[in-house]
Amino acid sequence: MIRYLVRRLLYAIPTLVGVLVLTFVIFFGIYSPEQLARQNIAVKNPTPKQINTWLKERGYDKPRKELFKEQFTHLAILDFGKSDRSKEDIWDRIRKGAGPSAEIAGMALITSLVVAMTFAMGLAYFRGTYLDRLGTLLTVLLLSVPYVVYVLGMQFLLGKLLKYGPIAGFERGFASWRFVFIPVLVGLIAGIGGSVRLYRTFLLEEMNQDYVRTARAKGVKEGGVLFKHVFKNAMIPVITTTVASLPVLILGSVIVESTFNIPGIGNYLVDAVNKQDFAIVRAMVYLGTLLTIVGFILTDVLYSVVDPRVRLE
Amino acid sequence: MHPTIFLRPWPAVRSCLLALSATLALVGCGNAPYPAEKERSKVRIVGGANITSFDPTVSYNAGDGPLIALVYPSFYRYKWLKRNPYELELNFGAAMPTVEKLKPAKPGDAAERWTYRFRKDLRFQDDPCFPGGKGRAVTAADVLYSFKRMIDPVNECPIASYLADKVVGWDADSKRFETAKAKAYEAPLAGVRVDPKDPYALQIDLNQPYPQLNYLMAMAFTTPQASEAMAKYGKDDYGLHHPVGSGTFMMRDYVANDHIDLVRNPAAPIERYPTEADPNLTHLLGDAGKRVPFIDEVYLPIMTEAVTTYNLFQQGYLDSLSIAAGNAQIVPASQGLTQDMKARGMTLNKNVELNIDYLAFNMTDPTFGGYTPEKRKLRQAISLAINSQEYIDVIAQGMGQPAQWIVPPGLAGYDPVYKNPYRQFDPKLEKAKRLLAEAGYPDGVDAKTGDRLVLTYDNYATTATARQIVRLYQKQIQRLGIDVRLNSSEYATFNSRINKRQVQFFNFGWLADYPDAENFAFLLYGPNAAPGPNGCLYDNPEYNKLFEKMRGMKDGPEREAIIARMRDVSVEDCPWIYVDYPESRSLIQPWVKNSNYSPLANDATKYVDLDPAMRVRLQGEWNQAKLWPILVLLGVGVAAVLPAVAVVRNRRGRRVRKENA
Repeated sequence: MIRYLVRRLLYAIPTLVGVLVLTFVIFFGIYSPEQLARQNIAVKNPTPKQINTWLKERGYDKPRKELFKEQFTHLAILDFGKSDRSKEDIWDRIRKGAGPSAEIAGMALITSLVVAMTFAMGLAYFRGTYLDRLGTLLTVLLLSVPYVVYVLGMQFLLGKLLKYGPIAGFERGFASWRFVFIPVLVGLIAGIGGSVRLYRTFLLEEMNQDYVRTARAKGVKEGGVLFKHVFKNAMIPVITTTVASLPVLILGSVIVESTFNIPGIGNYLVDAVNKQDFAIVRAMVYLGTLLTIVGFILTDVLYSVVDPRVRLE
Repeated sequence: MHPTIFLRPWPAVRSCLLALSATLALVGCGNAPYPAEKERSKVRIVGGANITSFDPTVSYNAGDGPLIALVYPSFYRYKWLKRNPYELELNFGAAMPTVEKLKPAKPGDAAERWTYRFRKDLRFQDDPCFPGGKGRAVTAADVLYSFKRMIDPVNECPIASYLADKVVGWDADSKRFETAKAKAYEAPLAGVRVDPKDPYALQIDLNQPYPQLNYLMAMAFTTPQASEAMAKYGKDDYGLHHPVGSGTFMMRDYVANDHIDLVRNPAAPIERYPTEADPNLTHLLGDAGKRVPFIDEVYLPIMTEAVTTYNLFQQGYLDSLSIAAGNAQIVPASQGLTQDMKARGMTLNKNVELNIDYLAFNMTDPTFGGYTPEKRKLRQAISLAINSQEYIDVIAQGMGQPAQWIVPPGLAGYDPVYKNPYRQFDPKLEKAKRLLAEAGYPDGVDAKTGDRLVLTYDNYATTATARQIVRLYQKQIQRLGIDVRLNSSEYATFNSRINKRQVQFFNFGWLADYPDAENFAFLLYGPNAAPGPNGCLYDNPEYNKLFEKMRGMKDGPEREAIIARMRDVSVEDCPWIYVDYPESRSLIQPWVKNSNYSPLANDATKYVDLDPAMRVRLQGEWNQAKLWPILVLLGVGVAAVLPAVAVVRNRRGRRVRKENA
C-alpha cells in the first residue's frame, strides 16, 4: 500500500506542474501583467510610470522566466502571497472563509447522503412496483432542473415568500444554523435526484449478486437481506464517490455562497473573478487541483479499507 | 429505513412529528439576517462590493467615496441640499482661503499663493497608533502629509496629474520620492508648506490661476492623515482595515464579502443639520440646525447579487436601495413605485448624476477622422442615427435623459434649451442619409470605390447588459448601410487600445470629479490627447484656446459665453456622439428620514435619521412565516407512505398464503 501511495503521489507531481504551467500561461501569457495593472489601477488613465510602480510593487515587473520560477516555487510550497487588488493575505482569507464553506457543504453532503440513501433503499425495496417507477420518474425530474434554478427558486420560495429563514448573511458560532438552513436544503434537493438514482443502481447491482441469492435461500427475510447484506456492500461505491467530493467541501459552493451572501471561499472566488484579482484565482485553481488529487488518492485508499478484495499494489 | 415501518407506521409518524416540530421551531426563529440586539440606531445600506481601498490618497471608487467621506473630513464639503448650482461650504476649514498674487521671475515659478486655515478643534479618532491610544489634535502638518502622499508616485494618487503642472515644484518633488523615499517625507515640498506663523494654515503655491483647487480641497485626497497610523499599520492595512480619521464616524469592523461597520466617532467635532435647501428640497429641512449624526452606526452588508439585495430590501432588512444600470431590470421601480411599494409607505428618489455616456470617433483615423467638411458630415450622419431615447427606454429603464453636449445638467455651462442639431433623432433618418451621401457614402457605400463603409467599434462589453447596449448602437448605425464590426475586449485591453490610439470608434463614460464644466470640457482639449483623457484625439486650435481661457475663470456670464462657443465648435466637428446623462433612483423605507442622494455630498449619510420602533414593527408584519405549506408537505408525506404500507402488507399476505398452502 505504501508503495502504491508513493507512486500515486509521484504521479501527482506532473499533474501539478502541468496545472502550474497552464495557469502561468493563462494569467501571464494570454493576459499580460500590464493589462492586469491597467485593470486594477484606480486612475482613469494610468500613466506608464503608474503601471510600472504597480507591477514592481507586486513583483510582476520581472522577466517572464524569472516570474515563472518565482510563481512556481511560491505556489508549490502553498505560499499564495497577497491579493493583487486589496493586498490582503490570501491564506488568511481562505482560513476565514473555510468555516462557513465547510459548514454548508459538509451539512449538505451528510444530509443528502442520509436522505438519498434512505430513498434509494426504499426504491430498491419496492423495485418493480409502481412506487419504484414513480420514484424513478421523480428523481429524473429533480435531476433535470439546472442547479441555479434550485438556488434562486428556493431562495425565492423558502426565503422570500414563505419566510422560513434569512435569504442572505451569516453568523459564526451556534447561530449559524439559521443561515445555513436554506442553503443546505438547496444542496440537498438539488443533489438528491442524481444521488438516489446512483445509489439505487448500486443497491440493485448488489441485489443480483450470488451471496444475496444464498441469503434468501437460507431464509433471510427481504428486509434483512437489504440491511444486513446489500447495504454494507453497496456503501463501498457510495463512500468513494462521497470522498471524491472533498474539494467541494473545502472550496465551497460558488453559486450558493454568492446568492445567499455567505462569506465563504466560493464567494471569495466569485468576487476575485469579478474583480479580475488573478493572484486569488491562481491560488484557488492550484488549491482546487491539489484537493482533487488528494480526494482521488483518498478514494483509492478507502476502497482498499472498506473492500478487502481490493489490494493497492 | 427498515421495511417494518410500512407495517408499523406509528414510529415513523412520530419521527415525522419530531421533524415537523424541529422545522416549526426553526421557522419560528424568523428570517432576520441580523442579531436582534443590534437593531437600534443603525442604518443599513447595501455595500455593493468589498472595499477597494479606504486610503484617502488612493481610493477613486464611487462605492468607497461615501464611506471615506464619513471618516475623513475635507476642508470643504458640498452643501447637501443645494444642487442648482452645487455649492461648497467649510467643513474642517476655519475660513475661506486667501489668495496672494505673486510675481513669477520665470514660467513655472509661483504666481499665486493660496492659504487654507483649518479648525483648531479637530482631533484624530482614538487609536493604538497614538501614544496611550488617545487621538491627538489635527494640524496643517497632517494635511501637508497628505500632499506628500499624493506626490509620492508609489501611491498612484488619481488626482496627482491635476496638480502636477500647477503646484510649484511638484514634478521635481515627485522624482525625489522615487529616489530617496525615507528622507523625502522629512524634507519640505517646494510648493506646499505649513504657514510658518500658523500651525493650522497650509500654503500652496501655484504657477497659474487654478480656481478648481477649491474643488480638490473638497475631495478626500486632501484630508488630514496621521503619519503615526501609516507607521503602525503600513500602507496596505491602513488602506483596508485601519483607517484613522477625524470625521463623524470611524471604522469598527470590515470583513470582506460580509460587512463594513462604521460607528460614531466620540472625538468628532459638533456638526449641524443643513439650514439651506433648493426649493424642491425644503421638505428635508425639518431637522435644520439640529446636531448630527442622529444614528450611531452605519452598517453595510456586502452583497453582489442584485436579486438577493432586492429581496432583502423588500423584507425590510435594508433601509434603502439604489437602482442603477446593474439592477434596473430586476427592481421594478425605475419608472415609479409599484402598488405594493406605495402600500408599504416606501418612497422613491430620482437622482441626477454628474455623468455622461458617449460614443467617440478617433479623429486621426483616415476614414472617420479629420476636419474636412466631408469628414464632419460623415460623423454628423452617424450621430443622427443614434437614438438615445431607445437606449434610455429599453436598457436604462427610463433612467437618463438624452445628452446634447458634454456638460451635464447641474453645472454652469449647461444650457437646458440648447438642441444639438446632430442629436435630433428622426426615425426616417432623412437628414442623416443626406449628410452621408454628401460625405461621399450614399447608402453607406463609397461612391468612388463601390465598397461598403466599415466601422470598427471597440467596446468593453463583458456583461449581458453591456452587450445589449453595444448591439443596440450597432443596429442603429447599420440602418445607414454602414457595416459595424464589433471588437469587444475586457476593460484593460480596451483602455490600452485607446491609449495607444488603435481604435476607430468606441463608447465610454465620464463621471465628474467636481462640479465644473472644465472637468468635462478637458476631455476634448487637444494637449490632453491619449494616453491622456482625450481618447478621441480631438484637436481644434480654437477649442483649445477657448478652453485655456475658461479654465482659469470663475463661473459667470463671460465664462458661459466661452463655453457656448466651445460647444458650437465641437458640435460642428462632431468628435463625440453625446448619448445620455445617466440617472439613478433610490428606494427608501418608510422608517428612514432625511435620505436624499447627492452626487457630490458624499457625507450625506450623517444626516439620516431612523424610527427604530417602526422598523421593528414593520419588519415583523412583513415577515410572518407561512406555516400551512409545511402541513401540506406533511400530508403529502403521509399520503406517500400509505401506498407503501399497502405494498408491504400485500407482499406479506402473499408470503403467508404461500406458507399456508
